Amino acid sequence: MSFPSFNLLAQSILSGIFIGSLYGLIGLGLGLTWGLLRQINLSHFGLVFLSAYMSYHMATVWHMDPWLSLLILPPLFFAFGVGMQWVMARFQISPFNSLLVTFGIAVVIESLIQAIWTADFRRMETHYNDMKFSVGSLYVPIPELLTLLLSVSIALLIWAAMRYTDLGKALRAMAEDGQIAAAFGINQKGMSLMLAGVCAALAAVAGICLAMTFTLTPSQIFAWVGVVFAVVMLGGLGSAMGPLVGGIIIGVSEAITMAVASPSWAPIVSFSLLIFLLLLRPGKI
Amino acid sequence: MLEVSHIAVNYGAAPALWDVSLQVQTGELVCVVGPNGAGKTTMINAIAGMHRVRAGSLTFNGRDVTQLDSHRFCEAGIAIVPEGRRLFTQMTVLDNLELGSFIASAKARRAESLDYVLSLFPILKVKLQSPAGSLSGGQQQMVAIGRALMACPSLLLLDEPSLGLAPSIVLDMFGAIRRINATGTSVLLVEQNVAMAMDIASRAYVMEEGRIVAEGQASEMLTRPEIQKAYLGLDMPD
Amino acid sequence: MNKTVIGILAAGALLASVPWLGLPAFYESFLYLVCHWAILALSWNILSGYSGYFSFGHGAFFGIGMYTSAGLAAHLNWPFLWTLPAAALMAALLGLGLGVVVFRVKSVRGELFALLTLAVTFVVGTIVLNTRIDGGPGIYLNAVAVPAIGPSASSSLYLLALAGAVATMLIAYKVQSSKLGIGLFAIHDDEDVAEVMGVPTFRYKLLAFALSCSLAGLAGGIHALFVSYVTAGETFNITVPLTVVLMSVLGGTRHWAGPAVGALFITVLLFMSAGSNPVAGKAAVGVILIVVILFMPNGILGYFFKRRVAVQGAVPVVQDPAVPLAAAHAPAAAPVRQANLATRGEPKVLLEVQGLSKAFTGVQALDQVSLQVHEGEILGLLGPNGSGKSTFINVVSGHYAATGGAIFFEGRQLAGLPAHQIAQAGIARTYQIPRPFAHMSVLQNVALVAMFGGAALNHQQATEEAWKWLEFTGLQDKANALPDDLNLHQRKFLELTRALASRPRLVLLDEVLSGLTPAEINEAIELIRKIRERGATIVFVEHVMRAVMALADRVAVLNHGKLIAVGPSQEVMRNPEVVSAYLGTPHA
Repeated sequence: MSFPSFNLLAQSILSGIFIGSLYGLIGLGLGLTWGLLRQINLSHFGLVFLSAYMSYHMATVWHMDPWLSLLILPPLFFAFGVGMQWVMARFQISPFNSLLVTFGIAVVIESLIQAIWTADFRRMETHYNDMKFSVGSLYVPIPELLTLLLSVSIALLIWAAMRYTDLGKALRAMAEDGQIAAAFGINQKGMSLMLAGVCAALAAVAGICLAMTFTLTPSQIFAWVGVVFAVVMLGGLGSAMGPLVGGIIIGVSEAITMAVASPSWAPIVSFSLLIFLLLLRPGKI
Repeated sequence: MLEVSHIAVNYGAAPALWDVSLQVQTGELVCVVGPNGAGKTTMINAIAGMHRVRAGSLTFNGRDVTQLDSHRFCEAGIAIVPEGRRLFTQMTVLDNLELGSFIASAKARRAESLDYVLSLFPILKVKLQSPAGSLSGGQQQMVAIGRALMACPSLLLLDEPSLGLAPSIVLDMFGAIRRINATGTSVLLVEQNVAMAMDIASRAYVMEEGRIVAEGQASEMLTRPEIQKAYLGLDMPD
Repeated sequence: MNKTVIGILAAGALLASVPWLGLPAFYESFLYLVCHWAILALSWNILSGYSGYFSFGHGAFFGIGMYTSAGLAAHLNWPFLWTLPAAALMAALLGLGLGVVVFRVKSVRGELFALLTLAVTFVVGTIVLNTRIDGGPGIYLNAVAVPAIGPSASSSLYLLALAGAVATMLIAYKVQSSKLGIGLFAIHDDEDVAEVMGVPTFRYKLLAFALSCSLAGLAGGIHALFVSYVTAGETFNITVPLTVVLMSVLGGTRHWAGPAVGALFITVLLFMSAGSNPVAGKAAVGVILIVVILFMPNGILGYFFKRRVAVQGAVPVVQDPAVPLAAAHAPAAAPVRQANLATRGEPKVLLEVQGLSKAFTGVQALDQVSLQVHEGEILGLLGPNGSGKSTFINVVSGHYAATGGAIFFEGRQLAGLPAHQIAQAGIARTYQIPRPFAHMSVLQNVALVAMFGGAALNHQQATEEAWKWLEFTGLQDKANALPDDLNLHQRKFLELTRALASRPRLVLLDEVLSGLTPAEINEAIELIRKIRERGATIVFVEHVMRAVMALADRVAVLNHGKLIAVGPSQEVMRNPEVVSAYLGTPHA
């Protein structure tokens, strides 16, 4: 272990913030369904990657402007999310079984991706890829910066909606006491469908950001599971800003660990944190 | 206005109510008393749409609401102050009140409803931004009543509002309930505190083991042998 | 040895002959994989399927086993066969260490336990990767000699795996039909109730976990030589745990052979598609998982062997039904109780609570309650809603821990003891809302308490005892039914029967009569009288006043957690404080 230079450390922290914001963006949808619908949705990861591959395809193969994917994919995924929730709701599954069923869906999505795009590495080629600017001696790559901006603005948007709009409050009320919420006119079924759709749309946006900043391969889907779960539990289930904050904390911790020790020690940060949280925050979940 | 006719309700697989019938006329304040386990909460939850009715019918303002979806009872004009308050504890008092007026018809009158609630319970004015879970028992009860009033109901259901509250607070609260009834809102009150309930109600029913066992004018209820027997197991009036 | 054991051994012997049949090597690889996955899935099921603690960390223990064997064989030149017990041991130690910490935390169950064990996998993997155990390049086992058990190296490994699979099957079968297995199934259905009924839940979970981990370690050890090149990335990931869950759920987690069926099925599927279209094979696996969870949650075996856990033991011959209740415990012979208190001398104190308090956040549920319960009496515990009656029962039976005060039972201090020890001391309780073990038959529900409670009978005796009590309460016709099939009256009586099966000295009844029809209430009153005649002392919480008046020798009234009156029923119910507690006070 050698202590890195200031420059290296600062650059590490910066990249930690960037990756953390992506963790947060992915975790946002996961945390909302877990906290508000009592469902652990592993297919969320499949959707993120599906959207990543689709935006890769639109940009690299069809030569569309990447911004278009931001317009097209979220509404498409919204519809898919509503449909999936509608089917799941008919079966009244326990939270644990939802873990297993959505895992099955994720596996199916992974196979689909592999069938269409093969296991070869795919990288979205756009003119944004190489754009970066410098702040002092630090490099700020544009795609990562865009991810950060999107992540922060979406988290703020959702937070504001949950805090200040009737719909957002109704959602929180429904999560706390569905029976009484219904007694005051809140339609649980409709709200659940809407929420599932929104979370799928969030997965779509996260996928686009993922495609912008990472090379894609289908086997990577499950590599993110552990980290994002740690992010969600740290930030709090059903929270809007929580995953973002949690993501940045974990991202920066990982980056520092990688700079100070070695990259292969990074996973221990998020997983140890997850274990501690599970043991020491009883009943919080 | 409310006609409950021979309803039977199950709690899970077990029957909780057999053949319960009662009425509330427009503008009345009716109370239902009885010992624990009599099924009072199950009954009032069924009237609020929170419980499926297995047999019998519920008619409200001439409309059969027996098979209505749970979330449609509020717009029909029924609001409930449930047992144990059941506030949304993670949200502020103001949020709770605003959620009471979630339905479109109540939302339009939100501002004036809020004024009305705050005039009934002035202490809430300073508590609007506090999380509902941080209030005292009595204050929480006020919020729960206020939340129901925000829905602009024509029938207000109250389930054991005095539970766990100090006697002086109970006094104030029953006074507020009386004032609410005076403005024209019909009230169906389920209570364990028989004496207090008989004070403000015009008519009363006694429930025991899932059935109505007596009904009559509130003023003469306390001395009835059914009450002595149901609550205290005494076969002779004291 | 019974038929199942012979069957397993015979199948094993049959399969062991494969290497000498001259089949293409492809068959041995396939059978090796089936055995390999069978060990992993069966061992996983011992904890996770039986008790419901779904672990997503099986990969960690498999990996520990793999690395232990690889390290010992390749770096320290141990003969390979000796590395296998070491692998199993290391995995078991890690499992025990983890279990001791995690099983004490009440809230880590279900999906949280799954997540925690998954996280452990990655932590262990990272540590292995970064320290001298692996260090990065992995471990090569090409130089390690394969023990010469079969005609070729691959057949030797196959035979090792087969031996492992047979052993695991036998262990899984033995556990399921043993007291440990019954306890685990009870934990699965309702852990808190199991503990209160006398099952030592912590010890059992630990034992099952250690067994499960050691077998996974064994599988890992064998697999190290099979793949002959071990890397952290390939081992400590999500594949093993998820495949194992899938196989067990598919085959049926409640049956000891379920995971093996699932392992066979999935291995066949993956093997068949490996050549032609592996992607389609994987997709098929995903679809199967979805379909099974949604439509066949009990798996293939669960679907076909509908319902019950198969427990050995035929219908026992019923002996003398008039078993006195206190027989198992009487320090000095206790004469048959007389219902008339007036003819006895000084009433003997069976249970005494002093200054008992229980606080929940913001609520003082019990406030300095001091009370004596006399041997052989029926004491009614009354009070308005929220007065603390159920809390009293919960604290005395150990379901909750008291926050202050002392509880003495036959002179022993009970406060602070784990609930299963309180049950074994001779206290039994019923739950207001019946909480039977949903997947066990009525008979099994009662027999369990006879096995784990104060009477501590063996399996055969417990089943006989259960029959006696079912006849006593009139439920004998429903002995083989599931609790779901009973109506409320029968379920309440099942609660009662369960409470009696441990031959308790003190029975705590929590609103046993609520929801019953007047005729059923009369039946229940008679039954409670008979129970007292058998020698039990009864404390019962009740609202049905006529039952209280008919049964109780004395009543104690709680209000707001405090004891406000105690004494003969008629007297107490006229006490003005009691009257106003119930009816309220009119305002001045």
